[in-house]
Amino acid sequence: MQGIIRAASRARPITAFPRNSSCIGFGARAQFARTLVTKRFTADHEAVVFDDSTGIGTVSITDHAQSVLGDVVFVELTTPGTEVTQGESIGAVESVKAASDIYAPVSGTIEEINETLASQPGLLNKSPEEKGWLCKIKLSDPSQIEALLTEEAYKASYES
Amino acid sequence: MSLPPILYHYFRLPLPYAQTLALQERIHQLQLLHRKTGSHKDILLLLQHRPVYTAGRRQTEPTIRDERVRLTSIGADFISTTRGGELTYHGPGQIVGYPLLDLSRYSPTMGARDYVCRMQKTLELHLKEAHAMTPIGSGHTGVFLDPTTKIASIGVQVRHRLTSHGFSLNITREPKSWFNRIVACGLEGVSAGSVETAKDKDMHVEDEIPGLIGRFGRLYDREMVPMVPAQDGEIGEAIVEMEKEASNAGPWPTEPTT
Repeated sequence: MQGIIRAASRARPITAFPRNSSCIGFGARAQFARTLVTKRFTADHEAVVFDDSTGIGTVSITDHAQSVLGDVVFVELTTPGTEVTQGESIGAVESVKAASDIYAPVSGTIEEINETLASQPGLLNKSPEEKGWLCKIKLSDPSQIEALLTEEAYKASYES
Repeated sequence: MSLPPILYHYFRLPLPYAQTLALQERIHQLQLLHRKTGSHKDILLLLQHRPVYTAGRRQTEPTIRDERVRLTSIGADFISTTRGGELTYHGPGQIVGYPLLDLSRYSPTMGARDYVCRMQKTLELHLKEAHAMTPIGSGHTGVFLDPTTKIASIGVQVRHRLTSHGFSLNITREPKSWFNRIVACGLEGVSAGSVETAKDKDMHVEDEIPGLIGRFGRLYDREMVPMVPAQDGEIGEAIVEMEKEASNAGPWPTEPTT
């Protein structure tokens, strides 16, 4: 539950943006809607925002990840419709001559990829966890979300 | 300096690219496996390749099909890779370095930008200290002697915080005629330089190796220790196999055939 409250408080400063992401507009409305939006992290620096009403998780790289990658010049993503297993490579981001693989934080089917990144890979630096989202995965096992890292645990994983 | 040493190995004979890629992949898999018990090793491979052009991850097959046909017809291999960067050439007379490191050994974990930056500084420092050459800042990754002369290139991959691929540095003139056949790294109007051309005297790749290893250790803050293939388990065996492949491969073309 703590994680949910934190996701809500993180979402507040960006409510000015259009409601194109499941974690936006969550604040006050959430008390009435039956939707639970959970944000979790992996040690490989991915974030996933899970909406339990749709069963879809929106995957991004974390702000910390973009800060240590440098300027992103290219994003490669697996085709929608592909079934992926947790931990499997789903593409790569290229920065300063380094191609860093990205991994599925959860198992499921890739429903959609962020087509804007093909022409604007720099969104990964400007807005990694919002406009620069990578893909949406329909989870085959929603319980995988709970096993991922909370924000505190994620921060501890790289600040040690 | 509490981190374990980096084990290095220099291959004296030029290696075929595809088999060397398989060797990197094998070491990567062993590192992933052995990391679970904390027993994995960081490795630096130094070598020369037999003539080969390689494409980067961004370059899809339809965009490079014609180049593949054209460049294999002049006597080189052509291989698509999953590293960063674009088209380049590797061959005899050029030092190639493949650092296979676990970036999460550093605290905090070393990011890709820092990793590439240290690699670039290693190459620049080597040229300054060993050859009194002064690379210029170009705004591009890689080492430039002037705005249109590039002497060293970088292209890496990071998977689960384990690195592969690496850098190349032209020592002799031999790579030049091969570089002349391509637009390397997507940079129009840039041509390949070498230490030999810049200093106008004969150079030998093997003379560069000890100095380069020392500087690599300084920049990455690590002790460098030579591998003893006979004592280094599966990785050692794979390296011995690779040496055999290289000696069986025989002579290589020293310039494009047409």
